[in-house]
Amino acid sequence: MRPPVIPVVQWSGWLAIAAAIIWSAWSTEVSPGRLIEGFPFMLDFLRRMLPPDPSVLGQALRGALQTLQIAVVGTAVGAVLALPVAFAAARNTAPAWAFYWTRSALNVFRAMDTLVYALFFVAAVGLGPFPGVLAVVVYTATVLAKLYSEAIEAMDPLPVEAVEAVGATRLQVLRWGVVPQLVPHFLSFTLYRFETNIRAAAVLGFVGAGGIGFYIQTYLRLLNYPAASTVLLVLVVMVMVVDFASSRLRARLV
Amino acid sequence: MIRVRGLSKRYPSGTVGLDGVSLDVAAGEFVALIGSSGAGKSTLLRCLNGLVSPTAGTISVDDRPVTGASPAGLRSVRARVGFVFQQFNLLKRLSVLDNVLVGSLARVDVWRSLLGRFHAEDVERARRTLRRVGLEGVESQRADTLSGGQQQRVAIARALVQEPRVLLADEPMSSLDPTLSRSVMELLRDINREDGLTVIASLHVLDLATTYGKRIVGLRAGRVVHDGPAAGLSPAAAEAIFESDPAGERR
Repeated sequence: MRPPVIPVVQWSGWLAIAAAIIWSAWSTEVSPGRLIEGFPFMLDFLRRMLPPDPSVLGQALRGALQTLQIAVVGTAVGAVLALPVAFAAARNTAPAWAFYWTRSALNVFRAMDTLVYALFFVAAVGLGPFPGVLAVVVYTATVLAKLYSEAIEAMDPLPVEAVEAVGATRLQVLRWGVVPQLVPHFLSFTLYRFETNIRAAAVLGFVGAGGIGFYIQTYLRLLNYPAASTVLLVLVVMVMVVDFASSRLRARLV
Repeated sequence: MIRVRGLSKRYPSGTVGLDGVSLDVAAGEFVALIGSSGAGKSTLLRCLNGLVSPTAGTISVDDRPVTGASPAGLRSVRARVGFVFQQFNLLKRLSVLDNVLVGSLARVDVWRSLLGRFHAEDVERARRTLRRVGLEGVESQRADTLSGGQQQRVAIARALVQEPRVLLADEPMSSLDPTLSRSVMELLRDINREDGLTVIASLHVLDLATTYGKRIVGLRAGRVVHDGPAAGLSPAAAEAIFESDPAGERR
């Protein structure tokens, strides 16, 4: 039973939320007038993007392929690194102190997004797709470790006990009692993360960490809008294809 | 066959599970273990295959020690003891056949079992056993697509492919409706009669115990308070087993 909420407390809560929204809008100079004034410029921008320039299609496809490759390697390596960490971050498989420290460390690492890691790795190893891969690896490993550990905690202990009861060895208990329960969840989380990583990898080029983002940024800066729109179209198509294929796969897993 | 001496179990919380239980079960017996919930039925069954380690006392099954056994020794005891759980404890996502094959893990080389490459004879035994428990044509279905009664039959088949000497059943029908309960109990009785397999089943329903058990052992507050043939259980004796005791109420 939830304790009853006193109306005064409830109302002051709503008031505080409303105040926070208004204050934030005022501080960030939100102005519908300026948005309306900007409409003609947006239309002009769109008009100048058309028609897309087909001569940069090859470049755009190469950039898209590199973004895809950054996401593939980054997701795969991140997932492998996440596996052992996840068992150390699950209440039912780790001692209390290990659980506490691993969860805290994961929360710290997860506070920064892939792009922030990319800035850091560009400074460390130089420009190119490699710092992009490293950034995807780190962020993916921390996010997947958290998701995996939640799946481990939700595991049903009863079938595990049943496999122990037939006289199976520890390895056999892992293979037949634990793995069948976890693998579908792990694969589904990994695919989901792969979809998100494509999008994250698409902007890595903005900070010099490889992929299609480099061309988007370059053509926008050069005011070459037809070329920029070709690159954006390629990106949109790639993301849609990957999302579609990946979600079809995930639906079959769980 | 089964020899229990002075068995006690006190849980870390201070709860007494068993308090000085001694019991001998001969090969081929069908023992019904009765008592109210918290009387120690589950604890006793779980001690017999080492799922719970007792605080004091000794157990041997088929002349092999359970208490004080090495991990390998305990595995070899478990391989000879089939265990049927109240909640079936199947792997829901695996096929019915794979669930039954789990019962043959102790017999298969580790690398084969890790790859899931069971021997043809193990697969054939699993199929035969599924037919015997009345499940045909569902081998490749996911276990969680079956009804409760069918799932308990899969669990019994898993225990049978171990080719065990003893079958322990912990409230095997308490998740099932009365009709299914009877059919599961009949299956256990047939297995006991046809294979000569020793069966110990804990039951919280008295009439199932007297109908199917040959011998009745009553537990109350972790102690054996009755032990005798099913036919001779007087209503007064039955009442004494299930009578609530203050210590039991607290559990």
